[in-house]
Amino acid sequence: MIKSYIKIAVRNLKRNIAISLINICGLALGIATCLLISLYITDELSYDRFNNHADRIVRVVFKGKVKGGDLKEAHVMPPVASTMKAELSSDVEETARLRIGGAPLFMVGDKVFHDEHLAYVDAAFFRIFTLPLLKGDHLTALTQPNTAIITEAMARKYFNTIDVIGRELPIKGNESILKITGVMQDIPKNSHFNFDVFTSIEALEDAKSTSWMTSEYYTYALLKKDAAIRQVETKLATLFDKHVGPQFMAGFGMSYEDYKKTGNKIGLYLQPLTDIHLHSDFVYDLSPSGNIKYLYIFGVIGLFMLLIATINFMNLSTASGSRRFKEVGVRKVLGAGKQKLLVQFFTEGILITYIALLLAVCIVVVALPLFNHFSGKSLGITQLSAFTTIPFLIGFGLLIGLFSSSYPTLYLSSFNPLSILRNKLNLSEKGLSLRSGLVVFQFMISVGLIFCTVVVSRQLDYMRHIKLGYDKENVIIVQSWPLGANEKAFAERLAQDSRIMHISHSSYLPAGATNNNNFFIYPKENPNQWVKTLRYDVDDQYIPAMGMKIKEGRNFSKAYGNDSLSVVINETAAKNLGWKDNILGRTLTNKDNKVLQVIGVVEDFHFKPLHETIAPLVMVLSDQAGNLIIKTKATNMEELLATVKKHYQAFPSDLPFDYSFLDERYNQTYQSELKTGQLLTIFATLTIFVACLGLLGLAIFTTHQRKKEIGIRKVIGASVPDIARMLSFEFIRLVVISIIIASPIAWWMMNMWLQDFAYRIDIKWWMFAIAGILAIVIALLTVSSQAIRAALANPVHSLKDE
Amino acid sequence: MSTKNMIKISNLQKYYRTEEVETVALNNLNIHVKEGEFVAVMGPSGCGKSTLLNIIGLLDDLDEGSYLFNDIEVAKFKERGRSDLRKHNIGFVFQSFNLIDELTVFENVELPLVYTNVPAAERKRRVEEVLEKVQIMHRRNHFPQQLSGGQQQRVAVARAVVNNPKLILADEPTGNLDSNNGNEVMQLLTELNEAGTTIVMVTHSEHDAKFSDRVIRMLDGQVIMETSALKQNG
Repeated sequence: MIKSYIKIAVRNLKRNIAISLINICGLALGIATCLLISLYITDELSYDRFNNHADRIVRVVFKGKVKGGDLKEAHVMPPVASTMKAELSSDVEETARLRIGGAPLFMVGDKVFHDEHLAYVDAAFFRIFTLPLLKGDHLTALTQPNTAIITEAMARKYFNTIDVIGRELPIKGNESILKITGVMQDIPKNSHFNFDVFTSIEALEDAKSTSWMTSEYYTYALLKKDAAIRQVETKLATLFDKHVGPQFMAGFGMSYEDYKKTGNKIGLYLQPLTDIHLHSDFVYDLSPSGNIKYLYIFGVIGLFMLLIATINFMNLSTASGSRRFKEVGVRKVLGAGKQKLLVQFFTEGILITYIALLLAVCIVVVALPLFNHFSGKSLGITQLSAFTTIPFLIGFGLLIGLFSSSYPTLYLSSFNPLSILRNKLNLSEKGLSLRSGLVVFQFMISVGLIFCTVVVSRQLDYMRHIKLGYDKENVIIVQSWPLGANEKAFAERLAQDSRIMHISHSSYLPAGATNNNNFFIYPKENPNQWVKTLRYDVDDQYIPAMGMKIKEGRNFSKAYGNDSLSVVINETAAKNLGWKDNILGRTLTNKDNKVLQVIGVVEDFHFKPLHETIAPLVMVLSDQAGNLIIKTKATNMEELLATVKKHYQAFPSDLPFDYSFLDERYNQTYQSELKTGQLLTIFATLTIFVACLGLLGLAIFTTHQRKKEIGIRKVIGASVPDIARMLSFEFIRLVVISIIIASPIAWWMMNMWLQDFAYRIDIKWWMFAIAGILAIVIALLTVSSQAIRAALANPVHSLKDE
Repeated sequence: MSTKNMIKISNLQKYYRTEEVETVALNNLNIHVKEGEFVAVMGPSGCGKSTLLNIIGLLDDLDEGSYLFNDIEVAKFKERGRSDLRKHNIGFVFQSFNLIDELTVFENVELPLVYTNVPAAERKRRVEEVLEKVQIMHRRNHFPQQLSGGQQQRVAVARAVVNNPKLILADEPTGNLDSNNGNEVMQLLTELNEAGTTIVMVTHSEHDAKFSDRVIRMLDGQVIMETSALKQNG
């Protein structure tokens, strides 16, 4: 019997080839999108879960509410780890610290490598995290200073083998030589940290510090099985107050109690390891964080897409099924019970679903590289385990098949055979209104997504064109520190070039990875008013090179002799210090009791992403650089870069010429928004496309059903435009209803999204208009072909059916 | 009855083509209908009477020949021209009534006036007038399904005449009715004809044919005989 059902199903597919293709493609697109999004979400949720004790590992973080802004730092003070282990031993099994060691120049023979990143860690680090060693013993590998564990990839790159235990790894410019004591498996991509070399923290003098006033140590704790995070956190607060209190007076010149009384609040908190990737917005995070909000957004889109595709399937199957009433009637008369018909139509539905599923898997394989490009992931189909994926897909297909064919099946099998055969079928109004409801639902989602796309793109555009307070165009950043003592000579040569307007030595840039050099100050007249600011180490060329504007006073200048105790502050800093006028000449004191005099106020500029408001900032004069900031005239950049490179290469350097553009760094800051925008556009297009397939299905169905009525209307005088208008209007009415329902929901959602940005656009009425008009035009194009076809049909035929 | 021809069809050829076969539906057909005349077209099933009626009503194309409607050649009219001519000049009555189920009696009858852009007040007046005439006014707000066959056909006739067409084409108007209702409809058509409307009626019924002025008998797509009927006086 099943064989006969499949045979009939295949024949039906062939006979209604257009509808079948639309049906299969729509469903395949929906399933493919849903699968891609599932892959993405699964990957995002898998971060750090490869650790055996992932549910018991926490990171100690520092949070505070102080004048000048909130403090949220991912690293804490050097003694936190040992103190926790000693004083909270009933809850804490193990603690370990990590400190970033940058990307030093490793030397192997006469080769110099610069791409590998180093971290200093406690030996216990490898007891907390699951980072298996291929060579060496993880319990003893890092117990001695200057011992190192390197990754398999690094071992192969440097030595072409992983048998490297005992080999030496000298670092250029550093007397100590690392001795390799272990080779570990490469760190999984879904880890919140990614280093190539782990060396013993014993080598760092600072690691032994007992100061609770500095913080550069990422501190992890493995909690005991029965420990509750919140309770440990409470104990940690007491521990923090106990140790910070005595040191506070020396650091801030006031007691910790007084500090807290003025409304400041600081403390240590615990962050579950598995929350780090998606729920973290701490400064100094080890890798760019994901954002749980985008996961929700994409999750909802994935579900919607699947829902739209299955709704389509229902609509199109019911539409094409209406051509099979006669078959149903004959089968019923010949003795097929309702059950047999149900089995037949479900078989057909599931067969189509599996064809679509197969196509969907092909689409996923083909689209993965493109999806990776947009999402910034490196997902692969090989990541999936065949043992779980194949049964999942089979089950998934069955579920979708049953769900999507349930309505058409019940609809088709429920008719009275006699009515069908006598052609007296009174197609239920209810069925039609249900299908109309489904179309409204589909278009609601489509209109909502178009609207979101418009808002996101406007916000992105706004961010690209907002007045930043500095000029990001024609600014080249050249990495100059590898030239060492020749850095200045290099800059002097460049200064001869007439295409170059200003050269500044500074590594502080308002765009790209943010410098978060906290700088606590108070105005001389009010020692109790500590303000948290950021410090920018700059030279006298920084402000002109960046095109920033001095609002009051002056820039640093060699003409004034010693400006080393002078500062230029931004407008927000002045406001936070409580200064309204006579700002110039005022003094402020920092934590080291250095008294600094304000010589100028620079207009506020955006040095943090536009998600955040402008914070207080203090510029101090410094001759430490590392980067050259080169402001050029609008010129042929390629030629100029060639010249700069030539000058660079004239000096000895271990590293090749490396540069970036300030505007590109700025754009990189908004990569996640940009990618979201691009993904949204793609999903909105797909959704609208699949929704249109559904609309087309309904149009085919409805015009077929109203064939007689259209014929009568034509006979009594309706023209082709009259009929086409009448049919199109009815579909447009559905779209208009969906616009009305979708608009407030979409507005609410986008308003929430915009709240993330301190600087944002207002949602305007025309954004709804664009989304609405676009949806109407697309819907009109979809249904008009059917409407015109129905209107052009010879009424004689439809009336003859009677 | 005027002596002027309202319809003059000469050398009409109509074929139906499928992939393999070409069937001649109407073969070298010549007919004329005078203004105010009541003509019945008779013949066995498949002889081409309905096709002829559809061509006269400009619902179907002719493949060869000429069709003069009030001395205007309409054989080559495009869709818009046909639609215009149809809505201003021709009313249709079908065997199966062909009322729109979703519209009330009033709305069904009103529809031709909507398509000829008659103002609403004027529409109301004319629809009520014609509903009075076919004695169905009391059912004006009912839906077709709520009426008997005879009542439905009276509504269909009302709809056919509401625009005061010069020509009514009736395709077996009593085919679905019992004899009483059938007679009522024939009476209605006769009254319309007496008021000046030209009527071409396809019928199987010799009884109905007696209401006409002339009977055209067809066989295999050709006219085989034309006879003046012994007109029955309702």
